[in-house]
Amino acid sequence: MSTNYIVENLKKEIENFSSQAQVEKVGYVIEVFDGIAKVSGLSDIKSSEMVIFPNGETGVALNLEEDVVGIVILGDFSKIKEGDEVKSTGKILEVPVSNALLGRVVNALGAPIDGKGLIKTEKTYPIEKVAPGVITRQSVDQAVQTGIKAIDALIPIGRGQRELIIGDRQTGKTAIAIDTILNQKGQNMICVYVSIGQKDSKLRKIQTRLEEGGAMTYTVIVSAGASESAALSYIAPYTGVSIAEFFMDQGKDVLIIYDDLSKHAVAYREISLLLRRPPGREAFPGDVFYLHSRLLERACRRNKEYGGGSITALPIIETQSGDISAYIPTNVISITDGQIFLETDLFYKGIRPAVNVGFSVSRVGSSAQIKAMKKVAGTLKLDLAQFRELEAFAQFGSDLDNATKQQLERGKRAVEILKQAQYSPFAVEDQVVMLYALTKGLVDEVPLEKIKEFEDGLIEYTKNNAKKFHKEIGETKMWTEKGEEELVKAITGFKNNFQAKA
Amino acid sequence: MVTLSNNDIAEAIYLSTKDKKGNELGDTTKKIVEFLKNRGLISKSREILEKLDNIINKDINRIVVKVYTKEKLRDKLKIELITYLKERLKAREIILEEKQDEKLLGGLRLEINNEIIDLTVKKKILKLKEYLIKK
Repeated sequence: MSTNYIVENLKKEIENFSSQAQVEKVGYVIEVFDGIAKVSGLSDIKSSEMVIFPNGETGVALNLEEDVVGIVILGDFSKIKEGDEVKSTGKILEVPVSNALLGRVVNALGAPIDGKGLIKTEKTYPIEKVAPGVITRQSVDQAVQTGIKAIDALIPIGRGQRELIIGDRQTGKTAIAIDTILNQKGQNMICVYVSIGQKDSKLRKIQTRLEEGGAMTYTVIVSAGASESAALSYIAPYTGVSIAEFFMDQGKDVLIIYDDLSKHAVAYREISLLLRRPPGREAFPGDVFYLHSRLLERACRRNKEYGGGSITALPIIETQSGDISAYIPTNVISITDGQIFLETDLFYKGIRPAVNVGFSVSRVGSSAQIKAMKKVAGTLKLDLAQFRELEAFAQFGSDLDNATKQQLERGKRAVEILKQAQYSPFAVEDQVVMLYALTKGLVDEVPLEKIKEFEDGLIEYTKNNAKKFHKEIGETKMWTEKGEEELVKAITGFKNNFQAKA
Repeated sequence: MVTLSNNDIAEAIYLSTKDKKGNELGDTTKKIVEFLKNRGLISKSREILEKLDNIINKDINRIVVKVYTKEKLRDKLKIELITYLKERLKAREIILEEKQDEKLLGGLRLEINNEIIDLTVKKKILKLKEYLIKK
């Protein structure tokens, strides 16, 4: 490239450049500490307004006091010093959004962190937005198929619902979330996974798993790692939901996972205490409920007149020693439309996913289930509750009547069938086949230790020998008499073969 | 206990001295100093006086404008600037506080309370730099 060409080009660009004088609102840094800046001036600033520091770092105004403004710095605060000029922008913090975000990992400010280059974005969305109003909403009536039998059958989740996943450490909370994302392949769903305060190694593992399962093509990961500032952990879920809203505005269904909101609350507590806001219960600030309610309220199912689309939220909360009556768990339980409660005891008993069916609930309930699933799983929850009661009584006596014995055996098989390995989601048709076999007593004679083997074989067998049934479930979400006959025949045939082999 | 901010105290001082003259003003001033001493607020007197200045300026519609230039402003330009600012800010009185800064290269920068109007060459060059980098 010749020097003349460069000079000519530069001249052209300079000719095109026009700079207009603008009135800028400024303040000056009084003090900086732990990611917080106290700034004088900025008299007309609004709460949550974005400000810019001289080195290009951004911040959000959180505390508006008489003489000073408390600002959380989003990024490196080590270069900000006393006396620095701070400019207000007049707008709320925004993140770049685009369809190109799919398959990418971004930080809490929407910048890529996966080393795959820049993301071309056309638009920005504010991270704080008022949740859609009542008029724009529609009741939840479509299912989110998680591929996990225990959840799809007993605690169904609908598109637009907020279902909490709660449990102690190492009980499989993230596993449920990841399995759900993996199962969305071909289900017309965009997924947003928000990782808050997680180790980078864990995030990398999740990303690899999703890539292997081909799930990254419809997934965006938003991450605020454990090594990043509390301010980024605080805004990460809002960034995630803004990205989700971008897809919902196109009429798409979105699933968003917040992993986890306990760490989010802790990050907010840190910021609040540094801003010298008065501490309340467990040292959390008074508005910690609003922190989560305004976030989760943005999950919704919008009616057709307002563009359709939905955001289904699966927040995760980590409890300490199973204490669900702590401050944050009770708050989020009351905000959400149900919870999936995972228990350490069940996990170590080998019941995985370790869902405590008694404590878990979905308030949207069966309206989010397909008709066939409703039919086979209708009484399953009650049956399991009765089984647990009977099981407790049966420990004290040995003489049981036949009906009770049969109920106990059926219950044991139900528990066995609801067990499922990680990363092996079940198609809804297969779930219906298995639960049909269970509720009709067709697996009663199969030995308990062989249930898994029987299940694997039966699923394969019915795929070829009950094609009509499978097709009906796929198309009309319910079977016909003919389809049912075909299925019973297939199950009986397979069972006879299976028993003969044994 | 209700805490009094510097602004509250400055406002109280202004209201108590506003319409007073001569001996009466002297007595009130003494009482104010005593009050500040009893409350242990003497160390904050600088901030309180700053606030008092702001309150007085606001009340009489007087605006202090800081002007940063490379060289001293000519008298004619100063008068023109004051007339323009009076009209634009709808102020009764404009006080120009002039400051010289070599680094500005040329033009002028106005600071009106929290607002800044930067018309310096330095700012223009910085904007051009940003523009060329973005391109």
